Amino acid sequence: MRTLPSWVITLLSMAVVLAIWIGITSGGLVRDLFLPGPLDLWDGFMELVQDGYKGRPLLEHVGMSLFRVIAGFLTGAAAGTLLGLGMGYSPRINALAAPFIEFLRPLPQLAYLVLLIIWLGIGETSKVTMLFLAALPVSAIAARDGVANVPPERVSVALALGASRWQVFRYVIIPSALPEILVGARLAAGIVYGTLIAAEIIAGSNGIGWMILDAGRFLRSDYVFAGIGMIGITGILIDRLLLLIERRVVHWAGR
Amino acid sequence: MSTTVAILPPARLGQRMRLSTLPRQLLGAAAVAAMVAGWWVIAATGMVRADLLPSPLDVWDALVEVTRDGYRGTTLWGNALSTLERLLSGFGLATLVGVPLGLWMGSNRVTHAAVDWIIQFMRPLPPLSYMILLILWLGTGDLSKSALLFLTAFPIIVASAAAGVRGVKQQRIQVALALGASRAQVFRHVIMPSAAPMVFTGLQIALAAAFSTVVSAELLAATDGLGWMVISASTFLRNDIIILCILILGALGFILASLLRATDRRLIHWRGRDS
Repeated sequence: MRTLPSWVITLLSMAVVLAIWIGITSGGLVRDLFLPGPLDLWDGFMELVQDGYKGRPLLEHVGMSLFRVIAGFLTGAAAGTLLGLGMGYSPRINALAAPFIEFLRPLPQLAYLVLLIIWLGIGETSKVTMLFLAALPVSAIAARDGVANVPPERVSVALALGASRWQVFRYVIIPSALPEILVGARLAAGIVYGTLIAAEIIAGSNGIGWMILDAGRFLRSDYVFAGIGMIGITGILIDRLLLLIERRVVHWAGR
Repeated sequence: MSTTVAILPPARLGQRMRLSTLPRQLLGAAAVAAMVAGWWVIAATGMVRADLLPSPLDVWDALVEVTRDGYRGTTLWGNALSTLERLLSGFGLATLVGVPLGLWMGSNRVTHAAVDWIIQFMRPLPPLSYMILLILWLGTGDLSKSALLFLTAFPIIVASAAAGVRGVKQQRIQVALALGASRAQVFRHVIMPSAAPMVFTGLQIALAAAFSTVVSAELLAATDGLGWMVISASTFLRNDIIILCILILGALGFILASLLRATDRRLIHWRGRDS
Protein backbone atom coordinates (compact mmCIF):
# COMPACT_ATOMS: atom_id res chain seq x y z
CA MET A 1 0.00 0.00 0.00
CA ARG A 2 2.70 2.45 0.92
CA THR A 3 4.39 2.28 -2.45
CA LEU A 4 1.23 2.78 -4.52
CA PRO A 5 0.62 6.25 -5.96
CA SER A 6 -2.16 8.19 -4.25
CA TRP A 7 -4.52 8.16 -7.22
CA VAL A 8 -4.38 4.36 -7.36
CA ILE A 9 -5.36 4.19 -3.70
CA THR A 10 -8.22 6.60 -4.35
CA LEU A 11 -9.43 4.46 -7.26
CA LEU A 12 -9.13 1.32 -5.13
CA SER A 13 -11.15 2.97 -2.38
CA MET A 14 -13.82 4.01 -4.90
CA ALA A 15 -13.93 0.46 -6.24
CA VAL A 16 -14.41 -0.94 -2.74
CA VAL A 17 -17.29 1.45 -2.05
CA LEU A 18 -18.87 0.59 -5.40
CA ALA A 19 -18.47 -3.15 -4.73
CA ILE A 20 -20.14 -2.85 -1.32
CA TRP A 21 -22.92 -0.79 -2.89
CA ILE A 22 -23.53 -3.39 -5.61
CA GLY A 23 -23.19 -6.19 -3.09
CA ILE A 24 -25.82 -4.97 -0.64
CA THR A 25 -28.28 -3.84 -3.31
CA SER A 26 -28.15 -6.84 -5.64
CA GLY A 27 -27.94 -9.32 -2.77
CA GLY A 28 -31.31 -8.06 -1.62
CA LEU A 29 -29.90 -6.99 1.75
CA VAL A 30 -31.43 -3.56 1.32
CA ARG A 31 -34.71 -2.96 -0.47
CA ASP A 32 -34.35 -0.72 -3.48
CA LEU A 33 -36.92 1.58 -1.92
CA PHE A 34 -34.18 2.62 0.47
CA LEU A 35 -31.06 2.31 -1.62
CA PRO A 36 -31.15 1.84 -5.39
CA GLY A 37 -28.34 -0.08 -7.05
CA PRO A 38 -25.96 1.80 -9.35
CA LEU A 39 -27.79 0.54 -12.44
CA ASP A 40 -31.23 1.47 -11.10
CA LEU A 41 -29.84 4.86 -10.26
CA TRP A 42 -28.56 5.32 -13.81
CA ASP A 43 -31.91 4.20 -15.24
CA GLY A 44 -33.71 6.62 -12.96
CA PHE A 45 -31.44 9.42 -14.02
CA MET A 46 -31.98 8.69 -17.72
CA GLU A 47 -35.72 8.62 -17.12
CA LEU A 48 -35.52 12.04 -15.53
CA VAL A 49 -33.45 13.38 -18.41
CA GLN A 50 -35.83 12.01 -21.05
CA ASP A 51 -39.23 12.44 -19.44
CA GLY A 52 -38.64 15.16 -16.90
CA TYR A 53 -40.33 15.14 -13.51
CA LYS A 54 -44.06 15.72 -12.96
CA GLY A 55 -44.68 17.17 -16.39
CA ARG A 56 -41.73 19.51 -16.46
CA PRO A 57 -38.44 18.76 -18.14
CA LEU A 58 -35.50 18.23 -15.81
CA LEU A 59 -33.70 21.25 -17.21
CA GLU A 60 -36.62 23.44 -16.23
CA HIS A 61 -36.29 22.35 -12.59
CA VAL A 62 -32.56 22.95 -12.64
CA GLY A 63 -33.12 26.25 -14.46
CA MET A 64 -35.66 27.46 -11.88
CA SER A 65 -33.21 26.72 -9.08
CA LEU A 66 -30.35 28.42 -10.90
CA PHE A 67 -32.45 31.48 -11.67
CA ARG A 68 -33.26 31.90 -7.97
CA VAL A 69 -29.64 31.40 -6.94
CA ILE A 70 -28.35 33.90 -9.48
CA ALA A 71 -30.98 36.53 -8.71
CA GLY A 72 -30.49 36.27 -4.94
CA PHE A 73 -26.73 35.99 -5.11
CA LEU A 74 -26.13 38.89 -7.52
CA THR A 75 -28.36 41.33 -5.66
CA GLY A 76 -27.21 40.23 -2.21
CA ALA A 77 -23.51 40.18 -3.04
CA ALA A 78 -23.69 43.55 -4.83
CA ALA A 79 -25.55 45.24 -1.99
CA GLY A 80 -23.39 43.55 0.63
CA THR A 81 -20.18 44.56 -1.09
CA LEU A 82 -21.27 48.19 -1.40
CA LEU A 83 -22.31 48.25 2.24
CA GLY A 84 -19.08 46.53 3.28
CA LEU A 85 -16.95 49.00 1.33
CA GLY A 86 -18.72 51.80 3.13
CA MET A 87 -18.29 50.05 6.47
CA GLY A 88 -14.58 49.59 5.86
CA TYR A 89 -14.15 53.15 4.65
CA SER A 90 -16.02 54.90 7.41
CA PRO A 91 -16.06 53.79 11.04
CA ARG A 92 -19.38 55.59 11.43
CA ILE A 93 -21.12 53.52 8.77
CA ASN A 94 -19.55 50.47 10.33
CA ALA A 95 -20.86 51.34 13.78
CA LEU A 96 -24.33 51.93 12.35
CA ALA A 97 -24.56 48.78 10.24
CA ALA A 98 -22.52 46.26 12.25
CA PRO A 99 -25.24 45.31 14.77
CA PHE A 100 -27.63 44.32 11.97
CA ILE A 101 -25.00 42.48 9.95
CA GLU A 102 -23.74 40.59 13.00
CA PHE A 103 -27.30 39.66 13.91
CA LEU A 104 -28.19 38.50 10.42
CA ARG A 105 -25.07 36.48 9.81
CA PRO A 106 -25.49 33.57 12.22
CA LEU A 107 -29.29 33.60 11.89
CA PRO A 108 -30.62 30.43 10.21
CA GLN A 109 -32.01 31.70 6.92
CA LEU A 110 -34.94 29.31 6.89
CA ALA A 111 -36.26 30.84 10.12
CA TYR A 112 -36.97 34.15 8.44
CA LEU A 113 -38.15 32.49 5.24
CA VAL A 114 -41.36 31.63 7.09
CA LEU A 115 -41.93 35.30 7.86
CA LEU A 116 -41.04 36.35 4.31
CA ILE A 117 -43.56 33.86 2.93
CA ILE A 118 -46.29 35.35 5.11
CA TRP A 119 -45.34 38.85 3.97
CA LEU A 120 -44.51 38.31 0.32
CA GLY A 121 -46.35 35.14 -0.62
CA ILE A 122 -45.00 31.74 -1.50
CA GLY A 123 -43.72 32.73 -4.96
CA GLU A 124 -40.33 33.84 -6.18
CA THR A 125 -40.17 37.13 -4.27
CA SER A 126 -39.94 35.54 -0.84
CA LYS A 127 -37.29 33.05 -1.94
CA VAL A 128 -35.13 35.60 -3.73
CA THR A 129 -35.46 38.01 -0.80
CA MET A 130 -34.27 35.28 1.56
CA LEU A 131 -31.28 34.53 -0.68
CA PHE A 132 -30.54 38.26 -0.85
CA LEU A 133 -30.50 38.37 2.96
CA ALA A 134 -28.34 35.23 3.06
CA ALA A 135 -25.67 36.69 0.75
CA LEU A 136 -25.70 40.22 2.19
CA PRO A 137 -23.90 39.81 5.54
CA VAL A 138 -21.24 37.46 4.17
CA SER A 139 -20.34 39.84 1.36
CA ALA A 140 -20.51 42.88 3.60
CA ILE A 141 -18.09 41.43 6.13
CA ALA A 142 -15.67 40.27 3.43
CA ALA A 143 -15.65 43.72 1.81
CA ARG A 144 -15.30 45.48 5.16
CA ASP A 145 -12.34 43.35 6.16
CA GLY A 146 -10.86 43.75 2.70
CA VAL A 147 -10.89 47.53 3.07
CA ALA A 148 -9.71 47.39 6.67
CA ASN A 149 -6.71 45.31 5.64
CA VAL A 150 -5.50 47.79 3.02
CA PRO A 151 -2.07 48.93 4.21
CA PRO A 152 -2.50 52.53 5.46
CA GLU A 153 0.83 53.49 3.84
CA ARG A 154 -0.67 52.91 0.41
CA VAL A 155 -3.50 55.30 1.15
CA SER A 156 -1.16 57.89 2.67
CA VAL A 157 1.21 57.73 -0.29
CA ALA A 158 -1.62 58.18 -2.77
CA LEU A 159 -2.99 61.13 -0.80
CA ALA A 160 0.48 62.64 -0.47
CA LEU A 161 0.90 62.38 -4.23
CA GLY A 162 -2.24 64.45 -4.63
CA ALA A 163 -4.91 61.85 -5.28
CA SER A 164 -8.47 62.85 -4.50
CA ARG A 165 -10.52 60.78 -2.08
CA TRP A 166 -12.45 59.29 -4.98
CA GLN A 167 -9.20 58.42 -6.75
CA VAL A 168 -7.85 56.77 -3.60
CA PHE A 169 -11.03 54.75 -3.34
CA ARG A 170 -11.07 53.77 -7.00
CA TYR A 171 -7.37 53.10 -7.59
CA VAL A 172 -6.02 52.08 -4.19
CA ILE A 173 -8.72 50.69 -1.94
CA ILE A 174 -10.82 48.77 -4.48
CA PRO A 175 -7.91 46.87 -6.06
CA SER A 176 -6.43 46.05 -2.66
CA ALA A 177 -9.74 44.83 -1.27
CA LEU A 178 -10.92 42.96 -4.37
CA PRO A 179 -9.31 39.60 -3.56
CA GLU A 180 -11.12 39.40 -0.22
CA ILE A 181 -14.36 40.63 -1.78
CA LEU A 182 -14.25 37.82 -4.33
CA VAL A 183 -13.44 35.18 -1.72
CA GLY A 184 -16.46 36.47 0.20
CA ALA A 185 -18.57 36.23 -2.95
CA ARG A 186 -17.63 32.60 -3.38
CA LEU A 187 -18.51 31.88 0.24
CA ALA A 188 -21.81 33.70 -0.20
CA ALA A 189 -22.63 31.70 -3.34
CA GLY A 190 -22.17 28.43 -1.44
CA ILE A 191 -24.43 29.61 1.37
CA VAL A 192 -27.06 30.89 -1.07
CA TYR A 193 -27.09 27.61 -2.95
CA GLY A 194 -27.44 25.47 0.17
CA THR A 195 -30.13 27.77 1.52
CA LEU A 196 -32.09 27.65 -1.72
CA ILE A 197 -32.17 23.86 -1.75
CA ALA A 198 -33.46 23.90 1.82
CA ALA A 199 -36.05 26.54 0.90
CA GLU A 200 -37.29 24.56 -2.08
CA ILE A 201 -37.61 21.51 0.12
CA ILE A 202 -39.64 23.34 2.73
CA ALA A 203 -41.72 25.63 0.52
CA GLY A 204 -41.35 24.91 -3.15
CA SER A 205 -43.49 23.74 -5.99
CA ASN A 206 -40.71 23.36 -8.52
CA GLY A 207 -36.94 23.40 -8.65
CA ILE A 208 -34.45 20.68 -7.98
CA GLY A 209 -34.80 20.79 -4.18
CA TRP A 210 -38.55 20.37 -4.42
CA MET A 211 -38.04 17.50 -6.85
CA ILE A 212 -36.11 15.37 -4.38
CA LEU A 213 -38.60 16.05 -1.60
CA ASP A 214 -41.48 15.07 -3.83
CA ALA A 215 -39.67 11.98 -5.10
CA GLY A 216 -38.96 11.02 -1.49
CA ARG A 217 -42.67 11.16 -0.70
CA PHE A 218 -43.28 8.60 -3.42
CA LEU A 219 -40.34 6.51 -2.24
CA ARG A 220 -38.57 6.99 -5.57
CA SER A 221 -35.15 6.77 -4.03
CA ASP A 222 -33.51 6.50 -7.45
CA TYR A 223 -34.82 9.99 -8.27
CA VAL A 224 -33.75 11.23 -4.84
CA PHE A 225 -30.22 9.95 -5.38
CA ALA A 226 -30.06 11.33 -8.90
CA GLY A 227 -31.31 14.67 -7.61
CA ILE A 228 -28.73 14.77 -4.82
CA GLY A 229 -26.03 13.97 -7.35
CA MET A 230 -27.16 16.81 -9.59
CA ILE A 231 -27.34 19.22 -6.66
CA GLY A 232 -23.78 18.29 -5.71
CA ILE A 233 -22.45 18.68 -9.25
CA THR A 234 -24.25 21.99 -9.82
CA GLY A 235 -22.88 23.29 -6.53
CA ILE A 236 -19.34 22.35 -7.48
CA LEU A 237 -19.75 23.93 -10.93
CA ILE A 238 -20.94 27.21 -9.43
CA ASP A 239 -17.97 27.23 -7.08
CA ARG A 240 -15.46 26.42 -9.86
CA LEU A 241 -16.91 29.10 -12.11
CA LEU A 242 -16.52 31.72 -9.41
CA LEU A 243 -12.99 30.50 -8.69
CA LEU A 244 -12.17 30.90 -12.36
CA ILE A 245 -13.54 34.44 -12.39
CA GLU A 246 -11.63 35.16 -9.20
CA ARG A 247 -8.33 34.02 -10.74
CA ARG A 248 -8.97 36.03 -13.90
CA VAL A 249 -10.02 39.24 -12.20
CA VAL A 250 -7.53 39.33 -9.33
CA HIS A 251 -4.52 37.79 -11.02
CA TRP A 252 -2.41 39.90 -8.68
CA ALA A 253 -3.76 38.24 -5.51
CA GLY A 254 -1.08 36.96 -3.19
CA ARG A 255 1.53 39.26 -4.71
CA MET B 1 -12.50 39.22 12.28
CA SER B 2 -10.22 42.17 12.06
CA THR B 3 -11.49 45.40 13.42
CA THR B 4 -12.09 48.31 11.16
CA VAL B 5 -9.41 50.94 11.22
CA ALA B 6 -9.70 54.49 10.12
CA ILE B 7 -7.78 54.62 6.91
CA LEU B 8 -8.11 58.33 6.47
CA PRO B 9 -5.18 60.39 7.70
CA PRO B 10 -5.75 62.28 10.97
CA ALA B 11 -6.09 65.69 9.29
CA ARG B 12 -9.13 64.51 7.36
CA LEU B 13 -10.67 62.81 10.32
CA GLY B 14 -10.38 66.06 12.24
CA GLN B 15 -13.04 67.70 10.10
CA ARG B 16 -15.51 65.10 11.20
CA MET B 17 -14.78 65.27 14.88
CA ARG B 18 -18.28 66.10 16.02
CA LEU B 19 -19.89 62.86 14.96
CA SER B 20 -16.89 60.66 15.53
CA THR B 21 -16.64 61.74 19.16
CA LEU B 22 -19.70 59.59 19.79
CA PRO B 23 -18.40 56.24 21.00
CA ARG B 24 -18.87 53.43 18.50
CA GLN B 25 -21.09 51.33 20.74
CA LEU B 26 -23.38 54.28 21.29
CA LEU B 27 -23.73 54.76 17.55
CA GLY B 28 -24.58 51.09 17.09
CA ALA B 29 -27.08 51.20 19.93
CA ALA B 30 -28.62 54.33 18.41
CA ALA B 31 -29.02 52.54 15.08
CA VAL B 32 -30.75 49.60 16.75
CA ALA B 33 -32.95 51.95 18.76
CA ALA B 34 -33.86 53.87 15.61
CA MET B 35 -34.85 50.65 13.89
CA VAL B 36 -37.00 49.48 16.78
CA ALA B 37 -38.62 52.93 16.91
CA GLY B 38 -39.29 52.82 13.16
CA TRP B 39 -40.79 49.36 13.52
CA TRP B 40 -42.95 50.62 16.35
CA VAL B 41 -44.20 53.63 14.38
CA ILE B 42 -45.05 51.52 11.33
CA ALA B 43 -46.90 49.00 13.49
CA ALA B 44 -48.64 51.60 15.70
CA THR B 45 -49.92 53.81 12.87
CA GLY B 46 -51.58 50.81 11.28
CA MET B 47 -49.71 51.20 7.98
CA VAL B 48 -49.32 47.44 8.01
CA ARG B 49 -51.94 45.04 9.31
CA ALA B 50 -51.23 44.11 12.91
CA ASP B 51 -51.35 40.37 12.27
CA LEU B 52 -48.70 40.76 9.56
CA LEU B 53 -46.36 43.02 11.49
CA PRO B 54 -46.83 42.92 15.25
CA SER B 55 -45.35 45.86 17.17
CA PRO B 56 -42.32 45.41 19.44
CA LEU B 57 -44.72 45.50 22.38
CA ASP B 58 -46.70 42.59 20.93
CA VAL B 59 -43.49 40.60 20.62
CA TRP B 60 -42.66 41.40 24.23
CA ASP B 61 -46.15 40.29 25.24
CA ALA B 62 -45.63 37.10 23.27
CA LEU B 63 -42.41 36.49 25.21
CA VAL B 64 -44.22 37.01 28.52
CA GLU B 65 -47.11 34.81 27.40
CA VAL B 66 -44.88 32.00 26.15
CA THR B 67 -42.65 32.01 29.22
CA ARG B 68 -45.69 32.00 31.51
CA ASP B 69 -48.11 29.66 29.73
CA GLY B 70 -45.82 27.83 27.33
CA TYR B 71 -46.60 27.32 23.67
CA ARG B 72 -49.06 24.59 22.67
CA GLY B 73 -48.06 22.32 25.52
CA THR B 74 -44.35 23.02 25.26
CA THR B 75 -42.25 25.59 27.02
CA LEU B 76 -39.97 28.09 25.33
CA TRP B 77 -36.96 26.83 27.26
CA GLY B 78 -37.86 23.24 26.51
CA ASN B 79 -37.93 24.02 22.81
CA ALA B 80 -34.67 25.95 22.94
CA LEU B 81 -33.14 23.06 24.84
CA SER B 82 -34.31 20.48 22.29
CA THR B 83 -32.72 22.51 19.52
CA LEU B 84 -29.48 22.85 21.46
CA GLU B 85 -29.48 19.17 22.39
CA ARG B 86 -29.81 18.08 18.75
CA LEU B 87 -27.21 20.58 17.66
CA LEU B 88 -24.69 19.57 20.28
CA SER B 89 -25.20 15.82 19.93
CA GLY B 90 -24.61 15.92 16.17
CA PHE B 91 -21.82 18.46 16.36
CA GLY B 92 -20.19 16.77 19.36
CA LEU B 93 -20.11 13.38 17.69
CA ALA B 94 -18.78 14.91 14.47
CA THR B 95 -16.00 16.56 16.51
CA LEU B 96 -15.13 13.35 18.35
CA VAL B 97 -14.90 11.35 15.12
CA GLY B 98 -13.90 14.05 12.67
CA VAL B 99 -10.91 15.61 14.41
CA PRO B 100 -9.00 12.31 14.90
CA LEU B 101 -9.88 11.18 11.37
CA GLY B 102 -8.75 14.52 9.93
CA LEU B 103 -5.49 14.43 11.87
CA TRP B 104 -4.90 10.88 10.70
CA MET B 105 -5.69 11.81 7.10
CA GLY B 106 -3.31 14.73 7.34
CA SER B 107 -0.42 12.64 8.55
CA ASN B 108 -1.01 9.49 6.54
CA ARG B 109 -0.94 9.60 2.75
CA VAL B 110 -2.76 6.31 2.28
CA THR B 111 -5.68 7.27 4.51
CA HIS B 112 -5.88 10.63 2.81
CA ALA B 113 -6.02 9.05 -0.64
CA ALA B 114 -8.64 6.54 0.46
CA VAL B 115 -11.00 8.90 2.30
CA ASP B 116 -10.52 12.39 0.88
CA TRP B 117 -12.74 11.89 -2.19
CA ILE B 118 -15.68 10.99 0.06
CA ILE B 119 -15.16 14.13 2.14
CA GLN B 120 -14.75 16.30 -0.95
CA PHE B 121 -17.94 14.84 -2.39
CA MET B 122 -19.95 15.46 0.78
CA ARG B 123 -18.69 18.93 1.54
CA PRO B 124 -20.51 20.93 -1.14
CA LEU B 125 -23.78 18.99 -0.73
CA PRO B 126 -26.49 21.05 0.96
CA PRO B 127 -27.40 18.96 4.04
CA LEU B 128 -31.13 19.29 3.55
CA SER B 129 -30.79 17.46 0.24
CA TYR B 130 -29.96 14.19 1.96
CA MET B 131 -32.29 14.83 4.90
CA ILE B 132 -35.00 13.09 2.86
CA LEU B 133 -32.88 9.97 2.57
CA LEU B 134 -32.09 10.03 6.28
CA ILE B 135 -35.79 10.28 7.10
CA LEU B 136 -36.42 7.37 4.75
CA TRP B 137 -33.72 5.31 6.43
CA LEU B 138 -33.93 6.33 10.06
CA GLY B 139 -37.46 7.64 10.51
CA THR B 140 -38.61 11.14 11.43
CA GLY B 141 -37.32 10.93 15.00
CA ASP B 142 -34.28 12.46 16.62
CA LEU B 143 -31.97 9.85 15.16
CA SER B 144 -32.31 11.16 11.61
CA LYS B 145 -31.81 14.72 12.80
CA SER B 146 -28.70 13.88 14.81
CA ALA B 147 -27.36 11.98 11.80
CA LEU B 148 -28.09 14.99 9.59
CA LEU B 149 -26.21 17.35 11.90
CA PHE B 150 -23.35 14.87 12.20
CA LEU B 151 -23.09 14.72 8.40
CA THR B 152 -23.30 18.51 8.15
CA ALA B 153 -20.42 19.13 10.53
CA PHE B 154 -18.31 16.06 9.81
CA PRO B 155 -16.81 16.86 6.36
CA ILE B 156 -16.02 20.45 7.36
CA ILE B 157 -14.22 19.30 10.52
CA VAL B 158 -12.31 16.51 8.79
CA ALA B 159 -11.22 18.67 5.87
CA SER B 160 -9.95 21.48 8.07
CA ALA B 161 -8.12 19.14 10.46
CA ALA B 162 -6.45 17.36 7.53
CA ALA B 163 -5.52 20.67 5.91
CA GLY B 164 -4.13 21.85 9.25
CA VAL B 165 -1.79 18.88 9.53
CA ARG B 166 -0.75 19.01 5.89
CA GLY B 167 0.08 22.69 6.28
CA VAL B 168 2.66 22.07 9.02
CA LYS B 169 6.06 23.16 7.81
CA GLN B 170 8.21 20.15 6.94
CA GLN B 171 11.34 21.78 8.38
CA ARG B 172 9.78 21.86 11.82
CA ILE B 173 9.06 18.15 11.73
CA GLN B 174 12.51 17.39 10.39
CA VAL B 175 14.22 19.53 13.01
CA ALA B 176 12.29 17.80 15.77
CA LEU B 177 13.13 14.38 14.34
CA ALA B 178 16.79 15.34 13.90
CA LEU B 179 16.90 16.44 17.54
CA GLY B 180 15.81 12.94 18.50
CA ALA B 181 12.06 13.33 19.02
CA SER B 182 10.00 10.19 18.63
CA ARG B 183 7.10 10.08 16.14
CA ALA B 184 4.64 10.40 19.01
CA GLN B 185 6.52 13.39 20.39
CA VAL B 186 6.56 15.05 16.99
CA PHE B 187 2.83 14.53 16.69
CA ARG B 188 2.10 15.80 20.19
CA HIS B 189 4.50 18.74 20.34
CA VAL B 190 4.96 19.83 16.72
CA ILE B 191 2.04 18.78 14.57
CA MET B 192 -0.79 19.28 17.09
CA PRO B 193 0.07 22.87 18.05
CA SER B 194 0.65 23.85 14.42
CA ALA B 195 -2.59 22.31 13.24
CA ALA B 196 -4.77 23.44 16.15
CA PRO B 197 -5.70 26.88 14.73
CA MET B 198 -7.04 25.28 11.54
CA VAL B 199 -8.89 22.63 13.55
CA PHE B 200 -10.62 25.32 15.58
CA THR B 201 -11.50 27.39 12.54
CA GLY B 202 -13.11 24.27 11.11
CA LEU B 203 -15.09 23.69 14.32
CA GLN B 204 -16.43 27.25 14.20
CA ILE B 205 -17.54 26.95 10.59
CA ALA B 206 -19.06 23.53 11.28
CA LEU B 207 -21.04 24.78 14.27
CA ALA B 208 -22.46 27.68 12.26
CA ALA B 209 -23.47 25.31 9.47
CA ALA B 210 -25.02 22.83 11.91
CA PHE B 211 -26.97 25.61 13.63
CA SER B 212 -28.49 26.66 10.33
CA THR B 213 -29.24 23.06 9.45
CA VAL B 214 -30.88 22.13 12.76
CA VAL B 215 -33.45 24.88 12.34
CA SER B 216 -34.20 23.83 8.75
CA ALA B 217 -34.57 20.22 9.84
CA GLU B 218 -36.96 21.24 12.60
CA LEU B 219 -39.00 23.25 10.14
CA LEU B 220 -39.30 20.19 7.94
CA ALA B 221 -39.93 17.42 10.43
CA ALA B 222 -40.06 17.87 14.19
CA THR B 223 -42.46 18.01 17.08
CA ASP B 224 -40.44 20.37 19.22
CA GLY B 225 -37.54 22.81 18.99
CA LEU B 226 -37.34 26.46 18.01
CA GLY B 227 -37.60 25.66 14.30
CA TRP B 228 -40.78 23.69 14.96
CA MET B 229 -42.12 26.62 16.97
CA VAL B 230 -41.57 28.94 13.99
CA ILE B 231 -43.36 26.69 11.51
CA SER B 232 -46.14 25.89 13.97
CA ALA B 233 -46.68 29.58 14.75
CA SER B 234 -46.80 30.33 11.03
CA THR B 235 -49.74 27.98 10.52
CA PHE B 236 -51.65 30.01 13.13
CA LEU B 237 -50.40 33.33 11.73
CA ARG B 238 -48.83 34.12 15.09
CA ASN B 239 -46.25 36.47 13.64
CA ASP B 240 -45.41 37.80 17.09
CA ILE B 241 -44.19 34.34 18.07
CA ILE B 242 -42.30 33.91 14.79
CA ILE B 243 -40.45 37.20 15.32
CA LEU B 244 -39.78 36.26 18.93
CA CYS B 245 -38.27 32.95 17.81
CA ILE B 246 -36.16 34.67 15.14
CA LEU B 247 -34.79 37.07 17.76
CA ILE B 248 -34.03 34.18 20.11
CA LEU B 249 -32.36 32.22 17.30
CA GLY B 250 -30.27 35.25 16.38
CA ALA B 251 -29.18 35.68 19.99
CA LEU B 252 -28.46 31.96 20.31
CA GLY B 253 -26.37 31.94 17.13
CA PHE B 254 -24.46 34.96 18.33
CA ILE B 255 -23.82 33.41 21.78
CA LEU B 256 -22.65 30.09 20.28
CA ALA B 257 -20.28 31.82 17.88
CA SER B 258 -18.91 34.06 20.65
CA LEU B 259 -18.40 31.08 22.97
CA LEU B 260 -16.35 29.23 20.38
CA ARG B 261 -14.41 32.39 19.54
CA ALA B 262 -13.60 32.91 23.21
CA THR B 263 -12.52 29.28 23.63
CA ASP B 264 -10.40 29.66 20.53
CA ARG B 265 -8.64 32.71 21.94
CA ARG B 266 -8.04 30.94 25.26
CA LEU B 267 -6.81 27.65 23.89
CA ILE B 268 -5.03 28.78 20.74
CA HIS B 269 -3.36 31.86 22.15
CA TRP B 270 -0.56 31.47 19.62
CA ARG B 271 -2.87 31.95 16.64
CA GLY B 272 -1.54 34.42 14.13
CA ARG B 273 1.90 34.50 15.69
CA ASP B 274 2.99 31.54 13.70
CA SER B 275 5.54 31.97 10.97
